[in-house]
Amino acid sequence: MIALTRLIAKRLATASLVLIGVSMLIFAIARVIPGDPARIALGPNATDEQLAKLRAELRLDDSLPAQYAHFVSELLQGDLGISLYTNRPVTTDIAQFLPATLELVLVAGTMMVLIGLPLGMLSARYEGKWVDNLIRIVSLLGVSAPSFVWAVILMLLFAFYLPFFPIAGRISEQYAIDPVTGFLLIDTLLAGKPWAWLDAAWHIALPAFALALSGIGQAARLTRANMVETYNTPYIEMARSYGFSESRIARRYAFKPSLIPSLTIIGLDFAAMLGNAFLVEAVFAWPGLSRYGVAVILRKDLNAILGTVLVISATFLIINIIVDLLIAWLNPRIRHAEQKP
Amino acid sequence: MNTPTLAIDNLNLSFKGLLSRTQVLHSVSLNVEKGERVALVGESGSGKSVLARLVLGLLQDQRGVEVSGRIGFAGTELDQLSRAARRALRGRDMSMIFQDPTSSLNPMFTIGNQFHEVLQRRTPDLGTGQAQDTARSWLDRVSIPDTDRVLASYPFQLSGGMNQRVMIAMALANNPTLLLADEPGTALDVTVQAQTLELMRALAEDVGTAVLFISHNLGVVREFADRVYVIHRGRIVESGSTTAVFDNPGHPYTQALLAAIPRITGDGIPDLPEQIDLSHPAVHHNTGPAGHD
Repeated sequence: MIALTRLIAKRLATASLVLIGVSMLIFAIARVIPGDPARIALGPNATDEQLAKLRAELRLDDSLPAQYAHFVSELLQGDLGISLYTNRPVTTDIAQFLPATLELVLVAGTMMVLIGLPLGMLSARYEGKWVDNLIRIVSLLGVSAPSFVWAVILMLLFAFYLPFFPIAGRISEQYAIDPVTGFLLIDTLLAGKPWAWLDAAWHIALPAFALALSGIGQAARLTRANMVETYNTPYIEMARSYGFSESRIARRYAFKPSLIPSLTIIGLDFAAMLGNAFLVEAVFAWPGLSRYGVAVILRKDLNAILGTVLVISATFLIINIIVDLLIAWLNPRIRHAEQKP
Repeated sequence: MNTPTLAIDNLNLSFKGLLSRTQVLHSVSLNVEKGERVALVGESGSGKSVLARLVLGLLQDQRGVEVSGRIGFAGTELDQLSRAARRALRGRDMSMIFQDPTSSLNPMFTIGNQFHEVLQRRTPDLGTGQAQDTARSWLDRVSIPDTDRVLASYPFQLSGGMNQRVMIAMALANNPTLLLADEPGTALDVTVQAQTLELMRALAEDVGTAVLFISHNLGVVREFADRVYVIHRGRIVESGSTTAVFDNPGHPYTQALLAAIPRITGDGIPDLPEQIDLSHPAVHHNTGPAGHD
């Protein structure tokens, strides 16, 4: 238990260092790229006084370190400033758009784990047989194209030519759901509307699957490779010599040791989905953080850019910490590191 | 005469490669009587480990493996059994001890957990409490102190000698008719190895288990076995009671093997001669207790 607490503390410390680094970097980059945020916000007809007033408001005339210091002091009070694009606090914008993106990523991540791992397991168990060959071809296909390409292909096939799934949006218009968590799959249940839940699930299925496909392929390939290796270890031979059934050996004796190395990569893939989600969201007109993110970058909306990037980095780091903890929890060598005689 | 526990007759094994076929066992015949301790001696690559895996039925399903000949186990012809029936024998009526104890136990599960599952092979609905009790008494029998701590430990938390004892206890816990021991303890240091072998011998005697002991270590074999088979390049070249084979080796390969035991005489380590007369007929001493045809 002590080992685990220490692990968490260590990971949180590195994560905050990373966040500080990211904030400095984005802060500098956003200000170095050409274009005057005040001019873009106010349009070509603005007078010099108006421009000067906005520039003063945004403290654009201060030195870079002074600007950063101001930003940090505001951030510590939970204030990310006002977005020039929406004229609302950046925190409000993010609170509105982030849940849609997170929901998409979480559903896709769940698909990756629930489909990818069993496929890899099956593939390793029937190594060299037709099942294995089929799964290997499919998973290779999955990793061969980026998710936005899959998004376009899946949309054409299953939403356009064969209209099984909706083309855009998170939910049909007839359902009015009060946002509580912002996750429609949760809010519909909270509101006690199962039909709305089904509708939301129907909407998220295709974009989430497109986002998950390369992860599914990756997870299947990794799990297969690790499990094939595990199958050659003496302890699997011993399990066989004790007459345990092949399916039990696959599920229990071979899968668990193989899961740990796969999990690290799966965690990274999971986090990488945050980035890929931007493009998938664009294809499926998913009202998530991506549209907001792209819009504020084009407008050089400094506060909004910084806020968006920070939130995404933080989510990325949190996912990584969760995966690390999961690995520590699964691996007895780490779990019992301090009890070793 | 009793039916032997293990009767291997005219067993051939070859591995088929893409272009070639390698024959690994050449008409091997071998008997282990009930409760008997028999050693199969040979150098690395002579085919002795493969033989044990054939008896267990672990190799037959692999691609490119061709087997002919018969393996009889306590009166049943193994190659006539279905795959499921063969599997049912493993872990109950026959079990195996492996070379490297620490890497042969699953790193993800505690000893207690693994012991429980092994015991469930014989008694499927065995509860955790009962399993713990049985496991504890078995660990006692292999002289493991502090059994509760060991049962709660993972293999990597225990020493190699400790894991070896655990493995012996597991292998014998279901009272198997036949125990296959594939160079047990080769990965351990010599004193620990000697201790564990002595343990294994005593326990096998208690339980009444027949042992096929596979080794390259002649000193150990001499201590352990009632009868010896010498295998060279997939052929049995000599067989007989341990005393007969050691005192009066008839085949040039056996003679060379015995001559190759290092002695503390200052002559250095003798080499096995490269050229051994392979055309020399196999030698079978008929002095063994159970008699070999």
